[in-house]
Amino acid sequence: MKLFLDLWTVVAVVAGAFFFFAGTVGLLRFPDSLTRLHALSKADNLGLGLVVLGLLPQVDSVSAGLKLVGIWLLVLLSGATAAQWIARTFRQSGTDP
Amino acid sequence: MNSDPSFTSTARPESLLATALWRGMAFFLLWMLLMPSLKRGDLVVGVLASVGATWVSLRLLPPSSGCLRFGRLLALLPHFVWESVLAGVDVARRALLPGLPLRPGFVTCPLGFPPGFARNTFATITTLLPGSVAAGEVDGVMVYHCIDTSSPVVEQLWKEERLLARALVAGRHHG
Repeated sequence: MKLFLDLWTVVAVVAGAFFFFAGTVGLLRFPDSLTRLHALSKADNLGLGLVVLGLLPQVDSVSAGLKLVGIWLLVLLSGATAAQWIARTFRQSGTDP
Repeated sequence: MNSDPSFTSTARPESLLATALWRGMAFFLLWMLLMPSLKRGDLVVGVLASVGATWVSLRLLPPSSGCLRFGRLLALLPHFVWESVLAGVDVARRALLPGLPLRPGFVTCPLGFPPGFARNTFATITTLLPGSVAAGEVDGVMVYHCIDTSSPVVEQLWKEERLLARALVAGRHHG
């Protein structure tokens, strides 16, 4: 059982790291700031979710697990909110800094 | 955000107090989750942070601005988790493919949700879905930035709107 859980952790965290990598590649390759927002608001959220899912079997208490999930949800909420603000500001200013 | 301050004069005081107590308890629970410590100093900071968060939430999101049906939203959770997985895979694929398959652009998406809490929540959730990032409003109509304007983004958003209409209750109109 322990081996299975450790394996799950390795697979999920590696998959999470892959999506962080892909999000960063998008950040570097995508042509403008608005498109880069897609890379950051979607790929990184999925990456963090997979890292959290992978770490869950390794925590020693339920509250630590809830804390991890809570952090993920807070990052989702703040990422989605900030992405909208940035997108609206770019659209209204018509510039692409 | 709906920051109409007139709610305080129209909302019943007992309902405002009940909302404040519920939200305060929820914020303190969240604090205890993130900072599980029973030291007096930590608890004092936690209570102060919860009171501050409750005050800000009542200013920005008055009880009359609409509400979430948490049970129904929870029932939709698997759908949105799956959609956000698809969104991450979609962006990762576009970022890594050599040809960089992008057709970025804006689309307008008229919504049934009135401006305020319901529309803001919809915009936040749909920002996590494949291909769309909410980018404010023009003349009261939502604008989305799309990563691929050749995909049926607006039809997809309308589908999500029908689903979310079960869980989001719009607030009363203020005049």
